[in-house]
Amino acid sequence: MAASAPFGRPMTGRRSTRRRYMLRGAAGMLVLAMVAGSVFALSGAYNVAASVKHFYITDRLIKLVLWRSIDLHSHELAKAPATDASAIRLGARHYLTGCMPCHGAPGRPQSPVITGMYPAPPNFGEVALDWQDEELAWIVFNGLKFTGMPHWPGADRIDEVWPVVSFLQQLPSMSPARFDTYARTGSEGEASKNPTLGLCAGCHGAGGSPPVSAAVPPLHGQSEAYLLRALEEYAGNRRQSGMMEPVAAALSASERQELASAFAAMPAPAIPMRAAPPETPTGLGETIAKSGLRERNVAACLSCHEGDRSPHFPKLRGLSKAYIATQLRLFGSGVRGDTPYGRIMQKVAQRLDAEEIETVAAYLERTLTATTRRAPP
Amino acid sequence: MKLRTLPRTLTGLAVIGLAGCGGVQSSLDPAGVEAREISTLFWTVTIVGLATTFLVTACLLLALYGPHRIRSRLAGHATILALGIALPVLILSGLLIYGLVLMQAGQARSGRAESEITITGKQWWWRVAYHLPDGSTAVSANELRLPVGEAVALHLESEDVIHSFWAPRLGGKLDMIPGRTNTLTVEASEAGLSRAQCAEYCGGAHALMAMDVVTMAKSDYEAWLVREAGPAQAPATELEQRGSEVFFAYGCGSCHTIRGTEATGVAGPDLTHVGSRHSLGAATLANTPEAFAAWLVSNQHVKPQNLMPEYEVLSDEELRAVAAYLDGLE
Repeated sequence: MAASAPFGRPMTGRRSTRRRYMLRGAAGMLVLAMVAGSVFALSGAYNVAASVKHFYITDRLIKLVLWRSIDLHSHELAKAPATDASAIRLGARHYLTGCMPCHGAPGRPQSPVITGMYPAPPNFGEVALDWQDEELAWIVFNGLKFTGMPHWPGADRIDEVWPVVSFLQQLPSMSPARFDTYARTGSEGEASKNPTLGLCAGCHGAGGSPPVSAAVPPLHGQSEAYLLRALEEYAGNRRQSGMMEPVAAALSASERQELASAFAAMPAPAIPMRAAPPETPTGLGETIAKSGLRERNVAACLSCHEGDRSPHFPKLRGLSKAYIATQLRLFGSGVRGDTPYGRIMQKVAQRLDAEEIETVAAYLERTLTATTRRAPP
Repeated sequence: MKLRTLPRTLTGLAVIGLAGCGGVQSSLDPAGVEAREISTLFWTVTIVGLATTFLVTACLLLALYGPHRIRSRLAGHATILALGIALPVLILSGLLIYGLVLMQAGQARSGRAESEITITGKQWWWRVAYHLPDGSTAVSANELRLPVGEAVALHLESEDVIHSFWAPRLGGKLDMIPGRTNTLTVEASEAGLSRAQCAEYCGGAHALMAMDVVTMAKSDYEAWLVREAGPAQAPATELEQRGSEVFFAYGCGSCHTIRGTEATGVAGPDLTHVGSRHSLGAATLANTPEAFAAWLVSNQHVKPQNLMPEYEVLSDEELRAVAAYLDGLE
């Protein structure tokens, strides 16, 4: 019988017969593959136990796909920013609570529960890391499918990942003793009073000690209502930070209230936190902070953030330039635009360009004085 | 359309058409000197145009269906010279001279302006600054008040994009161009309320950028101007006092000015006497406490992309207090 429809003329003759049989063969193989796949999946014969390792060839294939994928996708990331000792210290603080439970540390072994995972998180106390900065940042920010490696909880907060990467690159050469110095917080006084407060103080500083890095805001004397709201927003995933969200979510409501009151009551430290950033020749930062930018409809920062205003508006004087600039950029790009207060600031920050953000942040840091903080009750 | 429904249809169309003759923003209902001149010119040109159309149609019908004698007369040289060259030249020259005379009159009027008001167009509201005889300036927003019978020079400026000021019952349009001051002289001829509109597309909320124009007798105007230049009324009730506290606590004074208080911001409209205006949001909302509250909480729905943030963070109690306070600023 001659089939004619797809080819326009009857399929007779030897060449057309061969083509017909090849088509039928291909269709048959496809059906066979589908049947085989269904049998494989539905029969349950494949053993998904974590206690049973892959075949060597499967393991190599999976690792090949992993390395190639990371290599390609990490090119999407910008180049790593320059790192310094404070970034390494900040990365270490996050590592202690966020990474060490699974990945261990120099001198601290992993729990047997963790080593029973397959694939198991590599023990950074023993295994050398052979990744470039951008590749590490990609892994930390995105996580890895089918492993226990989560993606960074703070959406769009790649800026927080770089300090962690800086610390990770130090790990292979780190001795257990040196790691212990990072693990110790500088605020033993606070830790003895309240262990949770001591944990916060490890990054944010407390009493007389400054925060671990310029990227971390000091909380001394900050408005209590604002601190409480910040913790609630972090816990509810309305404010994005891979470092703060897990911390805030682990606190109960009464603990959040306690911590907010404790930090609000702290007097401003007597010493300046770090060397003041240089003054801009134009005084633009001071203009924006005190009078705003009239032609761009930008109100003066200090008209809302200083004086007898709502306690929900945080005090700005004394926060670091890096922190203020980062937050203004987050407002302007909409990353901090998920909350009603965030939406108010989003409109303001959208009207500032990059240079103005830097100069006004530098001015606000430079003008830290002990008397501009709210006096403790 | 059947022939017997034609009278009904025509009547309906006439009713709709006539409705455009009146109204608070109708240029066919002049309340100012320039508007009256424009209106007269409009009717003159319209009637002349209608008459010409009638004449041309009549000639056409005669040429097609008329008796042979008239048709041959129409085809003659004399007719063409008279109706085709002489008559148009006469009519158009007449209209040209009339138009030039009107423009000259407008120029003369601008020379004898007795007071000055600067109107600045911003996206999407109007800053209205009255220049008082003693040299000071009373700044207001979104409402223009004029004395009857006196020529006033309106200096039109813009701080962002091109807007255009148009008060149809008072006069014609004039663009507000950034970096330039255009001056329009208007003279109101009767007291009352009319409406002005932005007449040059200036962004998404262009259609919501309008202004109330209130014309009043000269003595009333002078009394009103003294009050407008003065500081804001102090809060009268406890609710208004609480509203004043909320207003300052949330930093509203960093964008709005209320004379006599520490609110000195200029990014948004002056609120010193906002309670006494005929409308809010550049003639978008009625002037009621509920409208104030709606604006505070959801102004992006009322006027999308406008510069003010939404203050959803105000509690119901705070919102009621602030609305009462602003409504009381008369």
